[in-house]
Parts: sequence; structure tokens; C-alpha cells
Amino acid sequence: MLERLGTSATGEALDPVDHAVISQALIAAAREMGVKLVRSAYSTIIREAQDASACLFDAEGNVVAQAELIPMQLGPMSEIFRSCAAAFPVERLVDGDFYITNDPYSGGQHLQDVFIYSPIFLDGVLIGFSGTVAHHLDLGGGNPGLTPDAADVHAEGLIIPPTRYSFARDWDDGGGLQRLVAANIRVPHQTIGDFNAQFAANAIGADRLRELFRRYGTATVRRSMAELLDYSERRARAAITAIPDGVYTGEDAVDDDGLSDTPLAVRATVTVAGDTISVDYTGTCAQVRRNLNCPFASTISAALSAIKSALTSADIPFNEGLKRPIRITAPKGSLLNPHYPAPVRARMEAGYRAYNAVLKALAQVVPEKVIAGGNDTTHVTSVSHLEDNRYKVYLEIYGGGWGATVGRDGGDGIDSALSNCTNTPVEATDMDFDHFRIVGYGLIPDSCGHGRQRGGLGLYRRFEILKDGVNFAIYADRFRLAPYGLFGGTEGERARCEVVRDGRVITVRSKDTLELMKGDILTLYTAGGGGYGPAAERSGEAIAADIAQGYVTEAAARAAYGRTG
Amino acid sequence: MRVGIEVGGTFTDLVAIADGRVTVLKVPSTPKSPDIGAFNALAESGIPIPSITELAHGSTVATNAVLERKGFPTAFVTTAGFRDILALQRHGRSRIYDLAYHQPPAVVDRRSSFEVSGRILADGSVLTALDLAAAERDLVPALAAGGYRAIAICLLNAYVNPAHEQALKALIRAHLPGVHVTVSSDVTREFREFERASTVTLSAYVQPVMDGYIARFAERLKEHGFAGRFSVMQSNGGRVPGEAMRENAVTALLSGPAAGVTGAARQVARSGYGNLITLDIGGTSTDVCVVADGRPQLTNEFMIDGLPVRIPVVDINTVGAGGGSIIWVDEGGMLRVGPHSAGADPGPACYGRGGTVPTITDAHVVRRTMRADAFLGGRMRIDADAARTALAPIAERFGMSIEEAADAAVRVATANIVRAIQLISTERGHDPRDYVLVPYGGAGPLHAADVARDLGIRTIVVPPSAGIISAYGLLASDFSQFDSRTLRAAVDDTAPAVVRETFDAMRERAVARARSLGLDGELALEFTADMRFVGQAFEVPVPLPLDSLATLTAADLRARFGAAHQKVYHFGAASDRPVEIVSFRLGLIAPQEDAPRLSEPSGTAGEDRAIELYTDRAWRQGTLLSRGSLVPGRSVTGPALLDDSTSTLLLPDAWRAERDAADNLILTRETRDA
Repeated sequence: MLERLGTSATGEALDPVDHAVISQALIAAAREMGVKLVRSAYSTIIREAQDASACLFDAEGNVVAQAELIPMQLGPMSEIFRSCAAAFPVERLVDGDFYITNDPYSGGQHLQDVFIYSPIFLDGVLIGFSGTVAHHLDLGGGNPGLTPDAADVHAEGLIIPPTRYSFARDWDDGGGLQRLVAANIRVPHQTIGDFNAQFAANAIGADRLRELFRRYGTATVRRSMAELLDYSERRARAAITAIPDGVYTGEDAVDDDGLSDTPLAVRATVTVAGDTISVDYTGTCAQVRRNLNCPFASTISAALSAIKSALTSADIPFNEGLKRPIRITAPKGSLLNPHYPAPVRARMEAGYRAYNAVLKALAQVVPEKVIAGGNDTTHVTSVSHLEDNRYKVYLEIYGGGWGATVGRDGGDGIDSALSNCTNTPVEATDMDFDHFRIVGYGLIPDSCGHGRQRGGLGLYRRFEILKDGVNFAIYADRFRLAPYGLFGGTEGERARCEVVRDGRVITVRSKDTLELMKGDILTLYTAGGGGYGPAAERSGEAIAADIAQGYVTEAAARAAYGRTG
Repeated sequence: MRVGIEVGGTFTDLVAIADGRVTVLKVPSTPKSPDIGAFNALAESGIPIPSITELAHGSTVATNAVLERKGFPTAFVTTAGFRDILALQRHGRSRIYDLAYHQPPAVVDRRSSFEVSGRILADGSVLTALDLAAAERDLVPALAAGGYRAIAICLLNAYVNPAHEQALKALIRAHLPGVHVTVSSDVTREFREFERASTVTLSAYVQPVMDGYIARFAERLKEHGFAGRFSVMQSNGGRVPGEAMRENAVTALLSGPAAGVTGAARQVARSGYGNLITLDIGGTSTDVCVVADGRPQLTNEFMIDGLPVRIPVVDINTVGAGGGSIIWVDEGGMLRVGPHSAGADPGPACYGRGGTVPTITDAHVVRRTMRADAFLGGRMRIDADAARTALAPIAERFGMSIEEAADAAVRVATANIVRAIQLISTERGHDPRDYVLVPYGGAGPLHAADVARDLGIRTIVVPPSAGIISAYGLLASDFSQFDSRTLRAAVDDTAPAVVRETFDAMRERAVARARSLGLDGELALEFTADMRFVGQAFEVPVPLPLDSLATLTAADLRARFGAAHQKVYHFGAASDRPVEIVSFRLGLIAPQEDAPRLSEPSGTAGEDRAIELYTDRAWRQGTLLSRGSLVPGRSVTGPALLDDSTSTLLLPDAWRAERDAADNLILTRETRDA
């Protein structure tokens, strides 16, 4: 061991084997943090839907390895770290401290995503950080789970500015911060348990990093971490170099802001120059009065996800290095970089359009790498109830059909690209909630766009309401503007939501809240994906198989393709 | 005469044991009809079939049926409104930046998925009665018209109340005799409808395949005058009589690797070791498993081809690192090994069958840690120059010699294997340093010392005939069956009574079933409660020793759970949050009386030879000896290679090997680097 440390300290080149081993171990440690966070959590939004992420950082706060869970949360883990470090210098941290924030106007995303970073010390020296983010079920605000009509960010819940606390003093065992948070949220029992799962996951990441440093020595692991960033950077630059230089633009829009019918336009100008790429969102509409505003951290995440997915091969580790050749800008005061105190709870929708606009721009130059428009929306519903002075909150996140790609039909009924939530099993909601029951969950035949490759099918979920006075809140999109097809492919079906009450159909808007009554049947239908290439080029076997499986009806096949095989 | 026959992808292994004499034999597998390979092995062994008192069999028949989608047409029936459970799965993605992502395809397609009306609630009460009339009118004709050979039924909340599933099964059986009907509540009693539906669907899918295979095998044995006991391996490391497997084929999905773990555990127990990590390195992959107190650890979260199977299986982690794993440099300049494999054809470059990409086997040939004249006992010609040529570009890329590049690749492969072991040890709260490493399979003994060093393991135990330990495991394993029951109970003063009552009921059922299968003699039981903090969704298994049940208190239950949670999640022991039991598991084991021993085959001694080999970044002088010549009382110090007919053992510098009274080789590392 001593010998190993000695040789590393001489500054010799990093042994390729040591590096391969250390980098794999870092990635494995981040993955373990993610798995254990999800598995020891309490709320269905984390333990079933897995709306949480985890990373390991170097001592400067660069992400070196991540658990591949939720792309939207992962993109700006370092930026959010930096706002914490700006508020309280890293040099003054001691073992047992942590940083915490959820403030969208200090680098955060929306209030429900709480970021916690724990410094990791070995023999008194800071060697890195472990960080986790989890979507918390309820952090206060005007309405359980989500507040569609919040006028500002204060109405959306408790704001935790970037701050340093001590775990032993402020959190553990009924510490002051824990008591303050618990007093301001609706389901403290579950939510505090979820916070604890974050702290525990951070501790596991710290243990693993310390083991690595002990084993390979500080100098070697530090160099390996730096090399891992350089490695991702090299591979990202190589991928970008392969794309013809030029300026490409793409546009998409959010349906509306929930107040008027005006679409909220998002415009991306993508400039490829040598081994760098920049995305500028000038031309995007101004920020809005409702919660559709997308904090800049979320905008960065959306653009990065589009670039990473379309341009680089899947096995490039996502870390700070990958981001070096990429520059993202958005005008202050726009939908994608709003001023305080605009509400931001539903930032995913504008985030998705920022993602789509980049892919549409890239479609002009690398058509074989992009994807047609899909559901590309986080539909979020909150079905909550107050009974015996206790809240029950059920949040669910829905994907839908994916756009088709050059070689493959779009995926059916899968969570959308910036998110990666799993569904809550019906048997879990049956066990945990008595104010509603899920009575249907399935694919929607004919909801896809057509083409040489068809889009994926949307999905529906249907609820029977079991009590009067159930609170329903939703934010969603693609209710008005359908997912686009590419290169001759047709549009996918739009999403919608309705309540059937005493035989009458009540149409629910994409951003809405209403009180439900016992016996109501509530159904959410998500969007289908757009097609890719002309319908005339679709193979007869593919059409016939879709009909046989009930994905597409005969009538729809005739209408789209003029044939049934 | 007792015989174990293990059919693998490439080879079929046979172990025969009579009066302490061991015969081992390897013949090529016959993948289209695996039983042919098995009977070929019997024929080559010269063993008269009527003299066999016991024949234990393991095969990849069920696994291949799933991987190659070669099962029979299968239908899926579920609660109205939920036909698409198998397609929607859990709605997430395993590769988050993949734009062309699709869910892993289920073994039953959408047109073969059907619905029935009727709903049971989470407490087991019936909200809507099962509409049997409609099922008879609509479903039964549709199933008949589809020509299905197997039907899987998974209804919502059947894990708590199986009445609807059982009624539907009876109806379908009455109308469609000859069709296999499998219901979820008979296979697994756990909540989460997709995972349960996936399990029962896979079970139904492989049922007719296994049923036909076992029946054919038994019939053929009978024709040859076999009058002994015929048993089949399960994924949980225990056997069942052949008849029982015909009813519950899903338990065969991971049986091959499970047999290896059991064989290793049994053989090594004779040297007094109960805590071990098994290391099985084959041509394309490596399987690793933790054995604690002589028992292979089980898991309930097994996946095959991306699809969940919720039955207890030996907790084996598989990683794509084997002799055929390809050595490559990725776009970012990182040295990588696997997961892609050169397979059997063209295979490693040194096989001379046209392969040009370097593999781990080529790296061993270059390092001379595998000898060109020792492949398949010298029956296979090896082209060492082709191995060097294949590795040359890698060496050039890193500015290394070809030997250095080969050595680096072996170290990367070792690191991949070490990661795989950490996943099932460190991450599950087991410290590898408390375990001995037990390598087997063709290449396990070749990598064991490097793996042990990286994990801080100081003792390696290598069983005799390490290349055929799975076949031995068939004979050495106990008969076993597992049962689970979801039953939520708060851990308070009422809990001990619930635990005792549940145990009594489960024991009664399990014992009756074992006796009906002809398992006489003593039966051992293991009882586990799956527990969690109230509000969590994932449970931690908490073993409840039988002798603790009579005096069990709520405080005991809490303490046992707290310790188990702390071990995995690093918190929980001190928590005062309420705790609940979610389900119980009962394992029933019919221990083998006089389990056969695996001893060193006789007549394998030979002359020692001086050799040169490249390990740990340098050429070294070493010794080559046949394993049989390492007689008890003699020890050898590395560097050395020890050959037997089934595998090669590499003993690096600073390691010492001795044969003990049980014929296991005990390898220890000298502690001079402290």
C-alpha cells in the first residue's frame, strides 16, 4: 500500500488499468447510492416512481459519476452545488456538514426537488462530495402535491435557500431544520423518511469513496477522477466534430400557460463549430404568470439531454467533462430563464420544448440520429384527500408514446425522455389509498402517428373516485399541439383528460384543478408519438402485425396507409 | 451408483460416484435435444443404466426456451382494465439516453392477452364477483381458438386472496383439458402486479417445454431399465423429484449456476469452510455468489432477458467476463474487456478458426498462464502466434509490450469480476474479507488469486475437478422447496402470535407436500420474515431461527429487523419508527443422508516441469505440476500452474498451495507485504 502511494505521488502517468478500475468503481458507487435511496424511501413518488437521482463529485464539486435515474435532475447537479458553495465556502466545511437547497432562483429546479450534498473527508482532507436529489411528495404551498394557480414561487411551497447545516445538530434526532421542514409540509411522516433516505444514500457514497481513496491513494484517485472528466470530454468532442459545422434552428411550443390559449413558443439556435456546440434560446417567449416557467438549471438539463442522447454514444459517462464543449444560453426574463418570483412548478413542459427544439434543429443536419416528436411531456396528477385531519397525497407521472426513429417504431407507453419515473403498481395504490381506485391502465390503440416507422402508443389510466371532496390537480401538455412527425411521418394523437360524472363528460384542461365527487370516473389519456418517413414506405408485415396485435385498427390502417398489409 | 448430469451450453458434464470412486466426463452438448447429449455421456461412461440408484439432472432447457423464445404459444389472463400490464411493465427505461428504447419484449404478446371481470381488494375482500358465466361464454372459446398450450393467470390482489384465480383455473381446465394452466398465487404470493404477472407468464411459458422434456427423459431412462430415483435441479440450489418439476417449471430457470454453487458449498464444507464466495468463470461469463454458513444466499429479484421473476433463486450475479471476452479500446481511449464475447465460433484468435480480435484466452496464452498444449487435455491445437498478433494493436496503442498488454487486459477482466462480487457482498452488507474464495469452472482457478487479492481475501479453496463442479452439485444438493405468503402484520405485542401461527400453518402445508412427493426422513425448516419500516416499499429479509419462535417478543423482532436494515442501508438500527412484517418465507429441506464426496481422481500425478510465465508485469520462473502430484503433506509456492483435466490453476508469486484431507487445495497468501 505504501509503495503504491509512493509511486503515484511521483506524478507518473496514470496506469490504464488503475484508471479503468477506479472509474468503474466510481460509477458503481453512484449507482448503489441511487438504488439504496429508492429502496429505503417511504413515499410512492420515490419508492415506486423512482423520482430521485444520485451523484459522486470531486472535491471541486464536479460530477464524476451518476446513477442513471432522472435526466432532468442530473444535468445541473454541479451548477446547483456551486450556488451552495458560493453561499458557504467549501474550505470551511467540516465532517458532518451538508449543503441543502431547492431554490429555483439560486440554481435549483422546482421546490419539490431538494438537493443535498455531503462533503466527504478522509483523515481530515476533503476528497469529494456525495449528492442526491429527490422529488418530495409535498413541500407545502397552496394545494397538496401541486398548486396549478400559484401566482409566484412562494405559493408553491417552502423555499430552502442554499445553506450549510450540520447533520448531527440540525437534522438528526429532531434537529431544528427537520422540525422546521416537518411543520411546513403536509405529509411529514413520509417526507422526513424520504429526506433520511437521501442522507443515508449520501453516507453510503461517502463510505465507498473513502474506500477507493484508501485503497489506491489520494493522488491516483484524484487523477483518475480528472481523467474520467477528460475522457467524457474527448468523446463528446469527437462526436461533435463528426457533425457538419453550421447554424441550425428549431422551434416548438407549450400548449398554453393555463390562463389563455396562446402557445408558448420555444426557439433554439444550435451552432456547431468544430468540436463545440452551443444552444441559444433567444426568440423564446417571455416568462408567464403561471407555473410553466422553466428555471435556467432545468433548461440546461433539457438541452444537454437532447445533445447527449442524439449525438453521443450511450456508453459515454455523463459528467462535468461531457459538458465542457457545450454552451447553453437563454435570455433572462424568458420562459427558459425567468426572473424571481415567477412560479416554476410545471417547468418540465417548457423543458421538453427546449429539448424538442434542439432535436428539430439537429434533424436538419443529422436526420438519422434524431427522433420524431413524442408525448415528450411530464403529465403530473395529484389526487389528494384530507380526512381525520390527515392528508393523503398520491402523485403520479405519466409518459406516453415515443416518436419514431430512422430504424425503429417509437416505444409504446414509456416515460418521456427527461424523466424516467416508473408507475405505481395498482396493488400498491389499492393498499395505500382509500379515496380512489385505479380501474383501468393500458395502451391507446390508434394513438400513434404513422409513417415508415410509426410512433409509439399513448397510454391511459382511469380512476374511480371513492369519496366526496377529493382534490385533483394536474399539469400536462400536448393537449392542444400534437407531437410532430418527421420526414413525411404524421402527427401523434394529442393527450386529454376527462371526468365522467352522472353520465356527463367534464373536460379537464391541461393545467387545472377541480374537486371530485364519489362515483366520478377520471381518465387521463397521454399523447402518441409522431411517425418517421412516408407512410407509403411502411412494410406490409409491420402494418399487418400492428393490426393483429390491436395496436392499430384496420380502419385506421386503411386511412393511414391505404392497405392492411 | 449415483450419477449427476449437467447439460450446459457447450458441454455436458457427468459425475458418477460409487463407493468413494469418482468418475468425471465431458461430452459436447446437443443443443437441439439436450437429452441426447445426456445419454451420450451415459453411454461414454460405460455405466449400466440399471445399476444407477440415483440420477440427478440439470439443464438449460427452460432458460433457452425463454432466451430463444422457443416456448409454446401462451395466453395471459388478467383483471378487466389491465390487459396491457405485460406491455407497459413499469414504465421506466433502463438506458436513459437511448432514443430508440423499447421495453424488453414479454413472452406473451398483446393479442394473446385477455381480461375477466371481477375485482378483489387489497384486504382480500371481494368488490365484484368473478364473472364465470362471461368467462365461459367469451374467454374459453377465445383461448381454444388461439390454440394455446399454456395459460397464465394473474388477477389483481390474488396474492392476498387467490379465490378468483383458482375458480378461473378450474373453469379453464374443465373446458380445455391438456392445456397447462398456471396461476400467479400458486407461483408467488407477493404484491406488485407486473412483477407477479411476469413471473407467472414465464412459468406458464416454460411449463409445457419442461414437462415434455422431463417426461421424455424419464421415459427413456425407464426403457433402459432405470429403477432408481430421478431428480431435477432448481434455481434455489435444491432438487425436486422429476415429477414435481413437471408442475413448477419456472424454478428451473437458473438451475445450472445454482448447482455449481451448491456443489462448491458442499465440497468446501468438508474442509470446514461455511462462508464462501463462489467464482465460476466460463467461456462467455462469470457467475459469483455468496454462501453464508454453508447456505447459498437467495434473492427474490431475479431477471431473465430483462423480465422479472419473483421466486427465490440463488443470488448469483453474472458479468460478461469469460475466456472469450473481447479486449478492446473504446473511442475515449479506455482499455475495456467484454461484455462482448468471441463465442465458440470463431472464438479466441488462438483457436485458429479465423478469429482476429483478442480475447482473455489469447491474453492467457501470451502470458503463458494457459499452456498451448493443455487445451482440452492436449486435444485442441492452439496458435500462440495468432494470439500475439491479435493483441499487438492494443499493445501499440498504450506503448506497451504485447505481454504487458495481455497482463493489463487480464487485470481489467479481474476488476470487472471484483465489481460483480462487491455487488453481492459489500452492497448486501457482507465483508468479502470474512469469506474464502472458491473458484471453479474452466477458468475460475486461473483468475482466483488476482480476484482474492483485490478483495482482501487471504484464503482460496479449490475443489477437485473444479471444471465439473456443477454436475457434482446435482448429487450433493438437498431436496428443497420454498413457500411464501404475503401477510401484513404490525410489529407490536400481537406479532409473536401471528409469527407462530403463520409458521405452523406454512409448516403443515410444506411437510404434507414433501411427504406426498415421497421425501421421507428428517426435514429441516428455515423461516424468514420480510420486514420494513411502515411506509417503505422494499422489505429486508430477517431470518427467524426456529428455536427463537417459542419465546419471541415484539422487541426481538424489532431488534432483528433493525440489525438487518442497518447492514444493508447503513441506518435503521436506532430508529423508533413503526415496523411491519409484509410476508413470510418457509424453506423446507430434506437433507441428503450420506451425500457423496468429490475426491481427487486417481492416476493424475505426473512430473513437475520448470516453466516461464508472465504475471504481475514481469516474466517469472515457475513450476508446472499436475494437480494429482500435490499429495497431502506437500506444498508448492507460486509462481506455479497446476493442471487437471478440467481446469488450470494459477498460483502467483506469494501464494502457497496444499492439498487437505478433503482433497481440496487450500491456497494462502503470505503476508510479507504488511
